[in-house]
Amino acid sequence: MKKILISIVNVVIIAAILTFVVLYSIFESRDSYQRQIEHFEDITVAMERVTENYLEGEQRLCDVWTRYINSKTMTIEEATDYIRVSHVLENASAHLIAIDTLTGLSTRPKLGTDEDYAVSYQRLNLLDNVDWIHEIGKSINVTRAYTNPMNGEQSLAFCNRITLYDSEGDTFKDAVLLRVIPISELEQKWMVPQTELVNAELSMIDGDGDYILKGYSFKNSDFFEFYKSYNPTDPESSSELFERITSSSGSISMINSHGQECVLAFTPISSTAGWTMLGLMPAEVLNVKNRDWMLFWVVSVGLVVLFLCDMFYMLYLNKCLQITARKAEAANKAKTDFLSTMSHDIRTPMNAIIGLTTLAEKNPGDVESTRESLRKIGLAGNHLLTLINDILDISKVESGKLKLCPLTFSIVETVENLVNLSQPMIKEKNIEFSFHINQIEKEYLYTDQLRLNQVYINILSNAIKYTEPGGRVSVELREGQSPTPGCVRLTYIVADTGIGMSPEFMKNMYKPFSRQIDSRVNSIQGTGLGLTITKQMVELLGGTIECQSEQGKGTTFTVVLDIPVADRQREDMRLEPIDVLIVDDDETMLQTASDTLKSLGASVDQASSGLEAIGMIEHRHLSGRDYNVIIVDWKMPELDGLETISRIRTEIGADVPILLTSAYDWLDIEEKAKAAGANGFVTKPLFRSTLYDKINDLIGKESKSIEPEDDYSDLQGLHILVAEDIDINWEIISSLLSMFGITSDRAENGRICVDMMRTAEEGAYALIFMDIQMPEMNGLNAARAIRKLENPWAASIPIVAMTADAFSENITECLDAGMNGHISKPIDIKLVIKEIRRIKEGRLQ
Amino acid sequence: MKKVLCIFLAMMMALSLAACGPKKQSEEQPEKQPEKQPSASEEGFSPSLDTSVESRIKIAGGYDNFEALEVEFDRFNEYYPNVELIYTKVDDYNNMIGTVLNGNDAPDIYFNYSWMYGREQYKDSIDLAEDLSDPALGLDLGCIRSNIILNTADGSLPMVPVFSNTYGMLVNNSLFEKEGLSVPTTYQELVEVCNAFREKGYENPMMGFSQKETTSLFVLTTYPFFCETVAHDAEAVEKLNSYDESAGEYIRPSLEKISQFLNDGCVDLDACGEIENNYDAVILRFFEGDVPMMTCSGDTVSGTKKRESRSEAFIANPFAYSFVPIPMSDEGAVFLDMSNLQFSVNKNSSNTDIANEFMRFLVTSEKLNEIAQNKGLMSTTKDLSFNNMYAAFGAVPASRTLSPEEIGLTDDAVIQFRQAIFSVGTGKMTIDEAVAAYGTFT
Repeated sequence: MKKILISIVNVVIIAAILTFVVLYSIFESRDSYQRQIEHFEDITVAMERVTENYLEGEQRLCDVWTRYINSKTMTIEEATDYIRVSHVLENASAHLIAIDTLTGLSTRPKLGTDEDYAVSYQRLNLLDNVDWIHEIGKSINVTRAYTNPMNGEQSLAFCNRITLYDSEGDTFKDAVLLRVIPISELEQKWMVPQTELVNAELSMIDGDGDYILKGYSFKNSDFFEFYKSYNPTDPESSSELFERITSSSGSISMINSHGQECVLAFTPISSTAGWTMLGLMPAEVLNVKNRDWMLFWVVSVGLVVLFLCDMFYMLYLNKCLQITARKAEAANKAKTDFLSTMSHDIRTPMNAIIGLTTLAEKNPGDVESTRESLRKIGLAGNHLLTLINDILDISKVESGKLKLCPLTFSIVETVENLVNLSQPMIKEKNIEFSFHINQIEKEYLYTDQLRLNQVYINILSNAIKYTEPGGRVSVELREGQSPTPGCVRLTYIVADTGIGMSPEFMKNMYKPFSRQIDSRVNSIQGTGLGLTITKQMVELLGGTIECQSEQGKGTTFTVVLDIPVADRQREDMRLEPIDVLIVDDDETMLQTASDTLKSLGASVDQASSGLEAIGMIEHRHLSGRDYNVIIVDWKMPELDGLETISRIRTEIGADVPILLTSAYDWLDIEEKAKAAGANGFVTKPLFRSTLYDKINDLIGKESKSIEPEDDYSDLQGLHILVAEDIDINWEIISSLLSMFGITSDRAENGRICVDMMRTAEEGAYALIFMDIQMPEMNGLNAARAIRKLENPWAASIPIVAMTADAFSENITECLDAGMNGHISKPIDIKLVIKEIRRIKEGRLQ
Repeated sequence: MKKVLCIFLAMMMALSLAACGPKKQSEEQPEKQPEKQPSASEEGFSPSLDTSVESRIKIAGGYDNFEALEVEFDRFNEYYPNVELIYTKVDDYNNMIGTVLNGNDAPDIYFNYSWMYGREQYKDSIDLAEDLSDPALGLDLGCIRSNIILNTADGSLPMVPVFSNTYGMLVNNSLFEKEGLSVPTTYQELVEVCNAFREKGYENPMMGFSQKETTSLFVLTTYPFFCETVAHDAEAVEKLNSYDESAGEYIRPSLEKISQFLNDGCVDLDACGEIENNYDAVILRFFEGDVPMMTCSGDTVSGTKKRESRSEAFIANPFAYSFVPIPMSDEGAVFLDMSNLQFSVNKNSSNTDIANEFMRFLVTSEKLNEIAQNKGLMSTTKDLSFNNMYAAFGAVPASRTLSPEEIGLTDDAVIQFRQAIFSVGTGKMTIDEAVAAYGTFT
């Protein structure tokens, strides 16, 4: 409806413009036509002047002759002789006609004779009445066009009355002197000079309308008769018109003998008695309309083209707007869906947190119940944190603000962290978990570790999450050659025996909030953002992600990334020549670990079960060639790692260093492992560096029990400065630190922190935990100010950011400001302790 | 449907634009020039010259204006757009045409008259005329009534009749119809009709110009009758032409006829005497509407159309009228067929090709009828039925159609007759006196 309305408005505007153009054109045309008519009138008047001048010139000559003849007493013969001598024009002649007889003499002989000069005007009806011949000088006395009786030529004659002496009767008689000029002479001179008026024709008429001179298009012998023949008019109107034509200058429109409209310009010839100059011109010559139509068509076509272009452009814009509107609608719906989903996903853990908190408050005496509530509150809190992180990530991804912050990091630590993080769920769901590494030779790589972790964790956690208890999750990480110079190609494959995905879901699995509709899935917490973020991260890191899945059978994700190798690498790792026995039911694990150990210079034997291992150890022991190190997997069929170690200790001896290895959490089996006689624990996957370090530790601390992980004695007495403006945050961190024997001072903002450092004694603080967003001076400026302090100790004190600004660019910003680390809020005390230890050990970045 | 409509409109527009393009010259301006020129009447006029030729055809005549000729020339211009017509009125035409033909302003085509033939003073007008009977010229002479074509003694044809003339009377057909009377075809009927009109209150059932002898009602009524009496009597013609002493007797029957006519009370001479001239006055008097019959010549009839608008009486009460022969004998009327205007081509003209081409264009039944109708004169063609005004003359049997040229009466003899009949008609002479005076009138 609107389109039609707009089209109609456009058409109306075009029509209005065209109407204006036409009207303007018509106006201009009329105006131009009027100007042309006026010009034509002017030309006619000019021609009248020219004619008048000519007539006056001829008349003056006639006057001169007349004066001379009248001043003398001359007979007709004498007068004729006088004029004959005075003649200049070859074709002109003079006739002297006696008024009484209308006969006389000509200055030139009759055609075809030599001496016959007699001439008669008796039959010409020209001089029957000579009243029209005025006295000399008073008027131009010109006859109408008539046939010269001497030669038959159409001629005009300028006249004067003269008096001639009649010698026979000794009397004087009145006569008329006629200076006769052929009209053909006049016609040669009597043309409209302007080339644009070449079609104009001129005529002269006398007071009765009879032509004196007649143009070709003028018909009849009487102009008025001619006019009436082709222009119907009543007697009264025609009379008025003829009066106007013969008495004034101007123009009228009239139809000629061809039915053609013409412009008749007229002006009186003032020096004659009632003569009028007429100019006739076809109106179409004066009225040039072609250009107007050209203008009209050019404007029309232009407007139509413009209209069509506009219309098509409008249609295009409408289409774009429709698409945009649909997108906006979809986005709005997505926002609504998102908010709805968020509401649900936030309220669910919040419900758990609030509900369990209420339960804990009501049952303070029930320690077991309270502990369980707090554990579940922690889980819900972590889920909430994950959700928030995911939302922030997806927001950044979609806004295009996500940037990589590459750092040098250890892939070993990354994998360890990955395994550690996945341990609780694996344990909880009793999932068979394996992690294989293959040919990982470059430990330190250079990329955005946080994003890499995110990718690896997301895929692994999904695999664990969607694998039902008793299922299996296997991870493989292998290093390969990258086509990109200076890079290694890391291939990360996570396969599970979980619920799998339908092909329909797989088409949209990377879209936000996509979660497979499955009764089993609905019980699993998730934001539906994980895969979206993962894919975006992989693409951001320049890699690829592929997925193969079969519903009910499991899923395999493969991520391939080309990651630059860091400049810094571990020095050449080489073990002393030792014999190592590795025991695992996983053949792949056996082979990769064996290869790794061999690359370290060890002699390696493999046993695929505990019993086989015991046999081999016993055999070695009996032959006096005990293994230097035995590495036993925990999860093995028939005889697991703990039992195997126990039997080795009881049946063979306690001297051989034994490392228990597992992809599971060490804490769960720590006590049992110690009891069984394990000397240490090494987390799968078995990295080269990890094995190198552990084996060297074991060899150096032979038979010495490994240091328990919960020994925090090294942290006792540490004094830390915490810059934190929020009271509750300060309370939490100080309380948590105090749990590990760490004391702390508080600086309420950056300024105070700097002041305290400026005045602190050397060694007063081991490090500073610095909040970023604080009043007066923020953490970044405070760090920069501290780095500029004069006191070298104060200026070089380790500073770790502790902030809710958890994005990688925030971390980079912190490091750029001179900080040494970053811990994001909400704080994980384990990570805090790990960071403290890292700093304490001097492993600063 | 819309697409079909759009395509249709687009095609129509394309066709319209294509139609706006210039026609091929071959369609518009045929340049075929046959060696033997066909007459224009065979399949319409077909130009035999280059149609782009630029020229002027000068025509000289005695008419003040000649619009009928200009109309035909406009038609000619459709074939030859670059040829102009220059018509010039020559003062004292009959006396001057010889001089004009020999002068610098000599025309290509000029008016000519049969009566000039054989007279020394008009010798140039005949001698300088091209022989138009030459078949190579392609003139359709067969369409012209043979009795008005003048072939000279040597068989050449110096002039072609363009208009013809005759004597007769204008008849107010509406009045006849109104009064339930028929146009008379015999003298007896003429007298009865006059009486009938008079009885119905019409004071002047018949009128005519009577002040001068040239075209007086006396001549107009009796000249055809006179011609009939001598048409087949060569001796009489010879005597009349030579003013023989006994020649006067040959005009007696005509003089008696006019006396009878006047005595029968057909005209009131006093009333006729008020008509000042034989042209405007005759026509305007007839247009008064109360005169059933008005004697006049074909020349006068040619002026009726233009004067309809000048007559307030006619404008107020228009009526139908026609021109019919006057039945002066009981055998019926005589159609006196006289050539009026004839065209000659100046054989010394530098434009004879185009002048002859125009003559070939003009001398066809169609064009001659057209020019005659436009001029209001009688056509020279054999078909007079096309013009209601003169159709009655076409109905006159050939046996009663006479041509003075064929009869052989000289112009002088005719003048003698006119003087005699005028004298008797006006009562200046008796019949005997007029008979006796034949040959002595000046």
